[in-house]
Amino acid sequence: MQTLIETFHLDWKLLIAQLINFSLVFGVLYFFVFKNLFKTIGERNTKIEKGLKDAEVAVLKLEEAAQEKEAIIIAARKEANEIMKQAKELAEKKKAETVVAAKLEIGKVITEEKERMRQEKAVVLEEIRQESVDLIMSVAEKIIATKLDDNHDQEIIKKMIKQ
Amino acid sequence: MTTEQAETVQQVENVEATKTDNNHELIHEHTLYAEPIGHIGGLAITNSLLMSWLALIIIFVLAVKVGAKIKLIPGKIQSAAEMIIEGLMSVFDGVTGSRAKTVKFAPFIFTFFFFILFNNWLGLLPGVGSIGQVIEAHGEKIFVPYLRGGTADYNTTLALAIIGIVASHIFGVIAIGAWKHFNKFINIQAILDIPRKIKKDWTVIMVNPIKFFIGIIELISEFAKIASLSLRLFGNVFAGEVLLASISAMLAFVVPIPFMFLEIFVGLVQAFIFSVLILVYISLNTTAEEH
Repeated sequence: MQTLIETFHLDWKLLIAQLINFSLVFGVLYFFVFKNLFKTIGERNTKIEKGLKDAEVAVLKLEEAAQEKEAIIIAARKEANEIMKQAKELAEKKKAETVVAAKLEIGKVITEEKERMRQEKAVVLEEIRQESVDLIMSVAEKIIATKLDDNHDQEIIKKMIKQ
Repeated sequence: MTTEQAETVQQVENVEATKTDNNHELIHEHTLYAEPIGHIGGLAITNSLLMSWLALIIIFVLAVKVGAKIKLIPGKIQSAAEMIIEGLMSVFDGVTGSRAKTVKFAPFIFTFFFFILFNNWLGLLPGVGSIGQVIEAHGEKIFVPYLRGGTADYNTTLALAIIGIVASHIFGVIAIGAWKHFNKFINIQAILDIPRKIKKDWTVIMVNPIKFFIGIIELISEFAKIASLSLRLFGNVFAGEVLLASISAMLAFVVPIPFMFLEIFVGLVQAFIFSVLILVYISLNTTAEEH
């Protein structure tokens, strides 16, 4: 041991001095570098992990959104088709109804017109008849020139007309 | 520095064949020990201690500068530094077995790494070992360099090895408890277990005393660890300095360059080996003995 100490000039004071040096280096490296560095690296790793997870979620959401969009478009198209179909049907129906109504209206108008014409004809005929009676009466009066009572006259005229 | 020494002090560069006025040859040899170049109180300031302080100052400045610039989004320098640290961390992961353990011990291990690395490399700078003073002792003029590699002094490497081994035991006690840790070396538990287990398994009467003696060997090996750690580092760095000085003495131009690169590499490798070995000892001591 003594030889060792003499050969290498071992000195406990120097050992202590180097121990202090080492402690100082440790303190400096720990407080100025490693504490901060490991904290930063840890924080960065957490952020990167979160970022990657978020990116995955974003991709999933994007896919979902695309699917949803597709579904919405398909549904809208279907609905539009439905509406078009309904509109067409409605239009057909309306058309048919209108035609029927028009036909009915025309029929009604024709019937009414016919009736009116029939009535007018009757009125005209009656008038003609009356006119003829009066005409015949005046002619008969003039021809016979004899006074007959009215009742008698009328009877004669009616008989004549019937004949 | 004593007053009589101070009077004889003179600075010299390249001392190889320097002769003094009175024709006494100047002794310039690589001593195994670091020479004192002054005294503060009772503490002899050796050239190696001075170099360690220089390393300390450089590390301090770098740490403060780098530490202040640590950002969440790293710049080029931070990226490079993180890459180196991350690379070393993954090597450490292989030793500790888990990232959580590595992160716990990393500041301590990196302190060894950087402290040794800076001391090794600073010892290679031009002027270290060649700029110094001449001291007259025992009638001879001896050249004493102002600076010597911090790790080229056995005091430094021994102090580092003791710190590492003592710390590994402290971590061991914290991790598995004082009693369990104590029984790794002086296995009283094994002796106490004999009467309890002998009914179940009679072989304990033979196995447990062996365990006790293995514990004693482990205890001795702890001292061997200190010796091997400190001597390996000291030997490599000191040998490197001697090698460079010898090569330079033969031919000072071009020829030493490959050896200089070799020593840069050796400095790095030794710093790495020392710190990884400390980590290995810490991992061993923080793991409970498996039965």
